[in-house]
Amino acid sequence: MLNYSYRFLFFSLVVLLQACAGSPQKPPEDLLSLTEAQMKIRSYQSRVYDATEQKKVLRAVVSALMDLGFIIERVNVPLGLVTAGKFARDGFVEATVTVRPKGDERMEIRANALFNTRPIEDPKAYQNFFAAVQRSLFLRD
Amino acid sequence: MNRKWFGTLPITTRSSEQRSWLAGWTGQRWICLVLLGGILLSGCAAAPPLPEQFFQLAPASARHKALQTRMVTAADQRELLSASAAVLQDLGFHIEESVGDFAMLRAAKERGAREYGQEIARVFIFLLSALGRNTIVIPVDVQQQIAATLVVFPEQKDASRYRVRVVFFRKIWKSDGSSGGRTIPPGRQRMEMIYDPLIYQQFYAKLSKSMFLGIHQI
Repeated sequence: MLNYSYRFLFFSLVVLLQACAGSPQKPPEDLLSLTEAQMKIRSYQSRVYDATEQKKVLRAVVSALMDLGFIIERVNVPLGLVTAGKFARDGFVEATVTVRPKGDERMEIRANALFNTRPIEDPKAYQNFFAAVQRSLFLRD
Repeated sequence: MNRKWFGTLPITTRSSEQRSWLAGWTGQRWICLVLLGGILLSGCAAAPPLPEQFFQLAPASARHKALQTRMVTAADQRELLSASAAVLQDLGFHIEESVGDFAMLRAAKERGAREYGQEIARVFIFLLSALGRNTIVIPVDVQQQIAATLVVFPEQKDASRYRVRVVFFRKIWKSDGSSGGRTIPPGRQRMEMIYDPLIYQQFYAKLSKSMFLGIHQI
């Protein structure tokens, strides 16, 4: 008899607890807003150069990426976009670089890279990339 | 008689001091030792790569660049790109991506990747394992994609001169293997850059022939 009471109590609890389960979670409202950390990442992913010709800077970026062992996957000149990738030990590195005019005499290069689909957030990685771009721009000049 | 046997046991144990220190080790101790060794050796495994290394120029990058690049004299960039595409087609590649205004091509071809060395190792390990309980079939390379990316860089100072850079690389897929009844998954696809000078020389020789171009090593 007691056994039946326990079972009834157990099922009642399960039914009650189900009611506590909320409706499917909504995405957070601040999903697209920039956090301070994201702003910081963006600052070291971007660099501005004195250059007037977008295509010339784009060529320097492609040349630098090839020097770094990347395979160029796509180039879109009107958008100033380059996507490249390379196999590294234990995974795959993907890089997306955009070149956009900033004013009349300057070009902004923005790079972001992923390692095994996870964003690379180490500032040193981007410093090394921009050093290679600068070298390529300087050599071409 | 039984008493005498038990009586001799402590004497035997004492006399074992003269034996090797390993003689008294039980199976459990051996397992512990092997596990400890395994843990210590795992420390020697290569650490994961640091992100900053992905964008660092390799010491050999200048040599590789020289291998992949040629200075070409041509009347027109478009004609040069078209000739490059034709050479890649002649070599069995299919063009996957072409950007005319940037003068860039991406091409690939599929080929078998079986090698005698790997096949011999596979048979040898299979025969060796057949002596035991489980037969082992190790995974081997079966398929590869040879790919090329070509970019034409116009020279700023001379409108008739172009820097052509082609990069050859290959992606390799392994077969699956088995150990007894269990399947060994094929493992990850891997990529290798091709740095054989002969491949690049052959490509540029064909390009030169197709357009009667003046091609110079830089």
